[in-house]
Amino acid sequence: MDASTIGMIAFAAVLILLALRVPIAFTLAAVATVATFFIFAFRTGTFMPERAIKATTSMVFSNSFDLIHSYDLSMIPLFVALGHIAYRADITTKIYHAAKVWLTRLPGGVAMASVMGCGGFSAITGSSIACASTMGKICTPEMLRMGYDPRLATASVAAGGTLGSLIPPSVLFIIYGIFTETSISSLFLAGVLPGLLTLAGFVLVIAVWVWRDPAVAPSTDQRYTARERWQAALDSWPAILLFVLIIGGIYGGIFTATEAAAVCVVSATLIGFVQRKLDWAGLWAAVKETCVQTSAIFLIAASAKIFVAFVALTGVAGTIVGFVSDAQMSLVVLMLCIALIYLLLGMFLDPIGIMVLTLPLMIPLVESYDLNLIWFGVVVIKLLEIGLITPPVGLNVFVIANVVGREAPIDKIFAGITRFLSVDFIVLILIMSFPMISLLIPMAAR
Amino acid sequence: ETVLIHGEAGPNRGARADALQWFADQVAERSDGDMRFDIQWGGALFKANAAVQSIADGVADTGSVIAVYYPQEMAGYGIADLPVNNPDAWVGMRATDELMRSSQAIQDDLADKNLVYIGTWTTSQVNIGCKGGAIKSVADISGKKVRGVGAYGKVFGEQGANMVNMSIYDAYQGLDTGLIDCSQGYSYAVAALKQAEVMDSYTILDWGQVGGLGIFMNKDMHDSLTPEQQETLASVGSDMADEFGRLITDANDKAIASMKEQGVEVITLPEEDRAQLVEAGKKFLDEWAETAGSAGLPGDELLEEYKGLIAKYTEQRDAEGYPWEAKSN
Amino acid sequence: MLVNLEKILLGLGALAVIALGVLITSNVIARALFASQVPDSVTMVRELMVAAILLPLAAATAARAHVSVAFVTDRFPDRARSVLIVAGSAIGMLALAPLIYSGGREFFAVVEKGSFFYGDLNLPKWPGRLLFLIGMIATFLRLAELTWRDGRTVLAGGVVSDEQQHAADLLAEKDVL
Ligand code: NA
Ligand code: NA
Repeated sequence: MDASTIGMIAFAAVLILLALRVPIAFTLAAVATVATFFIFAFRTGTFMPERAIKATTSMVFSNSFDLIHSYDLSMIPLFVALGHIAYRADITTKIYHAAKVWLTRLPGGVAMASVMGCGGFSAITGSSIACASTMGKICTPEMLRMGYDPRLATASVAAGGTLGSLIPPSVLFIIYGIFTETSISSLFLAGVLPGLLTLAGFVLVIAVWVWRDPAVAPSTDQRYTARERWQAALDSWPAILLFVLIIGGIYGGIFTATEAAAVCVVSATLIGFVQRKLDWAGLWAAVKETCVQTSAIFLIAASAKIFVAFVALTGVAGTIVGFVSDAQMSLVVLMLCIALIYLLLGMFLDPIGIMVLTLPLMIPLVESYDLNLIWFGVVVIKLLEIGLITPPVGLNVFVIANVVGREAPIDKIFAGITRFLSVDFIVLILIMSFPMISLLIPMAAR
Repeated sequence: ETVLIHGEAGPNRGARADALQWFADQVAERSDGDMRFDIQWGGALFKANAAVQSIADGVADTGSVIAVYYPQEMAGYGIADLPVNNPDAWVGMRATDELMRSSQAIQDDLADKNLVYIGTWTTSQVNIGCKGGAIKSVADISGKKVRGVGAYGKVFGEQGANMVNMSIYDAYQGLDTGLIDCSQGYSYAVAALKQAEVMDSYTILDWGQVGGLGIFMNKDMHDSLTPEQQETLASVGSDMADEFGRLITDANDKAIASMKEQGVEVITLPEEDRAQLVEAGKKFLDEWAETAGSAGLPGDELLEEYKGLIAKYTEQRDAEGYPWEAKSN
Repeated sequence: MLVNLEKILLGLGALAVIALGVLITSNVIARALFASQVPDSVTMVRELMVAAILLPLAAATAARAHVSVAFVTDRFPDRARSVLIVAGSAIGMLALAPLIYSGGREFFAVVEKGSFFYGDLNLPKWPGRLLFLIGMIATFLRLAELTWRDGRTVLAGGVVSDEQQHAADLLAEKDVL
């Protein structure tokens, strides 16, 4: 049996096991391990189990250990801890009270504020997962408490988190720039308009959703006086301070996005203690809850990493791209095929994994059609972000499900996400049809 | 047909990738299609810090190894990373390649780890790029926030720099926001990582290289090949130093030219300042010899041999020029 | 006993998260105010990450915090779904066994060679590998216990649920063994 056949069987096995309720992390790791064993065992034509065991176990260990043994990803447990600590220190409640008081007459206003907050957060940190895990803890419980429909309360945060890579700075653009030898600052600038367009689309989705079904976002007739409104804004100072600290620290060259997470955790803890809203027991409980959540999230991410290495061994990505490049198709058909490839891979794999697997094969193909690589980069990043919220493997959705718990099972989140996805596809078509949307700002900056 | 899987942590663009592709193409050509490489780029199979055990365990048949991730396991190869007086990429590679092939101690040590040496690259010489105040003398290093790597980084620290630990990928943003003032680098990597976009000056140090990066092979796989196949790999691996020397010299020249075009001030460190850096690096040679000793290698002997080889190939370059120049004449 | 072990590991994981926050913040302060740095802070953060992520994994498993796709099997009869939940835990053991095997091999290899990370302090490589191994073994044991306990329930004609318990519930849980 050749490697790509094993690859196809493995993809089918993943779908079946996921449908049969096997936890996502276990599915990806177990299927990748077993399939990798068969690839190694039959590589030379004869069955060689001993060497295959050595190679397979070495591969699964190094890929999972490497993912966890990471400096940059320390941002994730720290931002999750920030969410829990801010929640227990009443910081999140205050900011949501302010949002409610100010946006009381705007239907769905708090969800819109959440999407924008998410967009802002992920834009700054550059990590969609960090955003989903922090904002999931901060925004979703507050929206649920206000009586928002769980689909809206979760999907708006999951979708908002995907803005992280289009709006600069962005890890994905940096990796794309290195793989294609294109200007990273041009890529950053090219992502701005498509990112804002997506953000506007998400706000529009919420407005239409709430307009057609007002029950999903209860509004009150309660009127607040100007004094009450300013008091609410004033009371939310700790959140505003943290926000200013993150932005000022990162853009002022005082710390990196990873370091910002640590600085914010320490600051939020100090604020909580000074305001007497947080004590040692509360801090300890918050950190323990952080641990349970992040360990489950990382196990999924580590398994996804193992799966990427397995897919690399199968050569499936090369087969698909080779098929497209041999077909000599017209530009429109080519772009549709490329979109389809990224959407299919995005169903299963994480963004960095997909880029590493496809770009070395895809870029020569794209260059042979004489396409603009900056514009193509924006298209690819947009496609990868869509993959974060498509079933069956949508990392952002899992993160939110994990953070929120039993009130929002993942099928409910996916159900809410379909509306955001439809806007994503409209934006995608616009970006693909009108390269100017991406290229306007970089060209103006020359 | 034998298909060999190669694991590479870097992207498929740039001089190093071109040399690896050249290696793969040459092996296919010289073996008349009997051997072929399937290269997995970007660390899809394993990251640089897992390369040694991944190759030894057969995750890939061959792979790119960076010695600095394995100060103990790859102590022998780490000799090429030392801050000795070693500014020429081709000379450095030829010296490293000959040492790796001729030293029985290193060969045995590798065999112990189920590895075989195939060929070498280098970062080429270490330089430093800054935003804001430029480094025009060793005294200018003091007080700067510097992202450094390896023993070179330690020397910058000893000259009074405030060392900031971050990955080379984060250096772009670090320079941009002012989190760091300077980043240690190599001309072609500065171009590949687009760092010139965020640099004001680039100081050429004419010092040493980080040369401990190259191709290694799983020994079981190597032993299962025919002697002709093994010979093909060895000879293409050795020739890769010449090909990469040509590529890197060209890429570095282009990178410097492009930096100048982008308005980056290119500075050459004065001779006496340069000597000061080479001198300051000496204590790290002793440190290395100690590590090599604990790994069972004759550290001081290898150092003498290595320095001798650098002198030998420097002489050869001065007498005959680079091999690719001879070919084109 | 398993619960006590998990509680200790969870507590150590929580300490690691706090240490991450303090260590990284100290490094920022050292750099911004004192023009210096915490030596090898990047290496220490990486090693602490293994503790923060993997030591609590057994507790997370006990709390059934692993996300799965529920909507297909929600339409199945209770008994069939219970069998699938047991199968899920068993597949988890299948996924972790190779990690434990190679994690152990790697741990002994770095101990034997005396491997270290290049840096100011040349910190040894074994602690992170050991933490990985401990976290994975504890999780494997919990999965084995879940498979055994849920399997017996199903064989006795009962049904089991994989609904996530929150950390607060877990901490209140009495020793079940
Ligand atoms: Na961003
Ligand atoms: Na997906």
